[in-house]
Amino acid sequence: MNILTVPITRRQAFKAMLGIGGSVASAVLPMSAEASVEEHPEFPVASPDAVAMLYDSTICTGCKACMPACNEANNLPADTQLSGGIWDMPTGLNAQTKNIIELYQDPKSDEFAFVKKQCMHCLDPACVTGCPFGSLKKVDFGAVTWNSSLCIGCRYCEVACPFEVPQFEWKALNPKIVKCEFCYDQRLKEDLQPACTAACPTGAVIFGKRDVLLVQAKDRIAATPDKYYENRVYGEHEAGGTQVLYLSSVSFQKIGLPKLGNASLGHYATKVTSVIYKWLGGPILMAGVLGFAIRRNWRRHELERLDHEKKTGFPDQL
Amino acid sequence: MSFPSIPNPVETTTPASSDERGATLINHWQSGVPVTVGPVLTPLLVLLMMLASLGLVLAGMRLVSPLGPFSAMNSVYAWGIWKTFNVMTLTALGSGPLALGMAAWVFNRQKLHVVMRTALVSGFLFYATGLIALGFDVGRPWNFYSALMPWRWNSESAMLEISICMPLYCALFLSFEILPLFLERLYYTGNEKARAFLRHISPRIRKAYPFVIIGAYVIPLMHQSSLGGLLLLAGDKIDPLWQSPAMPWLYLIAAALCGFAFTLFLLLIVCLRYSRKLDGDVLSELANLLSGMCFFFLLVRAVDLTLRGQLHAAFAFNKMSILFLLETSLILVPAVVFRFRRARRTPRVLLNMSALACLGGMLYRFIPTSIAYAPMRSTSYFPSVPELLMAGGYISLGIVAFVFAINYFAVLPGESSTWDHSFRPFGWHTATAAPTTSLSKPLERGA
Ligand code: SF4
Ligand code: SF4
Ligand code: SF4
Repeated sequence: MNILTVPITRRQAFKAMLGIGGSVASAVLPMSAEASVEEHPEFPVASPDAVAMLYDSTICTGCKACMPACNEANNLPADTQLSGGIWDMPTGLNAQTKNIIELYQDPKSDEFAFVKKQCMHCLDPACVTGCPFGSLKKVDFGAVTWNSSLCIGCRYCEVACPFEVPQFEWKALNPKIVKCEFCYDQRLKEDLQPACTAACPTGAVIFGKRDVLLVQAKDRIAATPDKYYENRVYGEHEAGGTQVLYLSSVSFQKIGLPKLGNASLGHYATKVTSVIYKWLGGPILMAGVLGFAIRRNWRRHELERLDHEKKTGFPDQL
Repeated sequence: MSFPSIPNPVETTTPASSDERGATLINHWQSGVPVTVGPVLTPLLVLLMMLASLGLVLAGMRLVSPLGPFSAMNSVYAWGIWKTFNVMTLTALGSGPLALGMAAWVFNRQKLHVVMRTALVSGFLFYATGLIALGFDVGRPWNFYSALMPWRWNSESAMLEISICMPLYCALFLSFEILPLFLERLYYTGNEKARAFLRHISPRIRKAYPFVIIGAYVIPLMHQSSLGGLLLLAGDKIDPLWQSPAMPWLYLIAAALCGFAFTLFLLLIVCLRYSRKLDGDVLSELANLLSGMCFFFLLVRAVDLTLRGQLHAAFAFNKMSILFLLETSLILVPAVVFRFRRARRTPRVLLNMSALACLGGMLYRFIPTSIAYAPMRSTSYFPSVPELLMAGGYISLGIVAFVFAINYFAVLPGESSTWDHSFRPFGWHTATAAPTTSLSKPLERGA
């Protein structure tokens, strides 16, 4: 599949259009540039080039082949703390683990399921909305990537991400935000599929265009009704939709996928502020109103001050 | 050391204002006067200085060390008390300049001009120490130069608004507003050159002042609401009793509430500590405004909870509901008590109720960032010892700086004749035996 023959995205076109003039304009009117396009619809639509991962928990055998593959593709050391230095044994996503296979096991029945965790590459990522200087960005194919030279380490992305994906390197003097970036630099750009999907021997996690995979997932549900939990694809609508799709026979919440609304968090968080801050209108209006009142009171105050000074000979303090 | 005190002659000559509308500047507290009695270096202050230096030494060590060993934060509870308490909570107490300034300059409550300096200095210190806390909390501070490059700004991020507006407010607007303190100090050193310079510069400052304070109110209005806006993105992680689209507004109102409450509390505390006379008119004006703010806060909170259908959760009497009820009653009690004129005129009630209101406002600002912040993955967070020491160190630093400020600069409002001599809650003895006017008091610090 040639994923590179996709039209230029809206965002790219927008960036190109802006050019230098745009930078100047956005310097003067910082709130205007992005808010003028409806950046956070309540139910975002995937861009035409959006790729996705489809993970089917019922196929996954828990072989964890994707984990070392991910580590290798991302130059991450194995997390050997628990295994006494022998093999990769993370207890969750952490600063050395962008991808993990977790096992859910019901303590009473013999119900169990595996789940693969990594960044969900949300259609409208909360982390990107919150990141102050645009270190986290949704780039081509919808991959959400992190840029070391723009991150200030505020960790707002960790607070914002509903899936608790970004991991901060608490032990590093030059700490990075570690999260799955869809292998964007190493592989997507080279027209290769991500390391984890390439490594998966069973086809439990596959890579493709999001719309194609969504149809495929729904076909699987249709072919075997009642095999899949709630007969639906997790990630189609969650938090506005994600670019990682899940099928599972066990409750999504049990395997650790949070119960989320369908509206995008970015929409919820910015729907009022984007109006108030559009063209900096709210603050400017506020300044005008305050300025009017302050001027009136200031004049009155000045007259009284001069009067007071004449009477007592001592100046008023500001 | 001797410090030529700011003359305060009007005190003996002008009678207390009888103008109840507050349309004139003359009232019991006429101007800022430095503290001139008692030693500056008390044992308590020395202790606080030690705490502050301990905190700063730890902060210095943090510069050459990763965050890990200094804090108990983890990637699920990514924000520790430096952010949730020193910044989110304490800058609410530091919103006095915003609340009092708006009341004085925009709503023409002229009585408040005389206590503006107390609010300004405390507000500046809360912001400054909060920013220090923030500076040692962020992981990659060297990338902060992006703040100077607007094309890098992510205009929709509340974090951007805060990370730019807060330092800007503190470094530019608050600093400008407290500049007269330093200039005045310079004037009373008696140096002729300095005086000539000041005569040259002060009209200019007066020219700029009404314009600068517009910014000094608009900018904190923006970032105090953005502090609540920050939490919107956390979504379901925050308990529905707090998570609400009204959070930016409530954070702003809580800031104003805390601003009034803390300034009132602080005035009472320092005036008692330095046996200053209290001005009943100004204090009851503050209490009145505080009560209004409390009611406004509760109204918005009630409407918000009703609209979102969360009222039942508020009275479910589980952990969150009890927290909510505690927070609400801490705000409701002062609101009701301060409706009574007698209460607004009684120093003891003023002190207690303003403390309650401070606590209530602080709880509202603190809870959604920490106690009601419950991410799915159930890791826990409790601040580690270095974290607590550093947080405490920043606060001590602020207190030490405040004590020095009121001792060497004309911060506290001048004395008046309404001092209630029977009210000494902590057994502090009055420094001078005779309750005389300030002019007959020893103006120089005793050897
Ligand atoms: S899952 Fe989290 S880190 Fe990944 S794109 Fe969504 S919000 Fe960002
Ligand atoms: S920690 Fe870095 S990547 Fe995360 S929100 Fe802050 S600046 Fe952005
Ligand atoms: S896409 Fe790449 S970085 Fe993400 S989980 Fe797969 S291998 Fe790891």
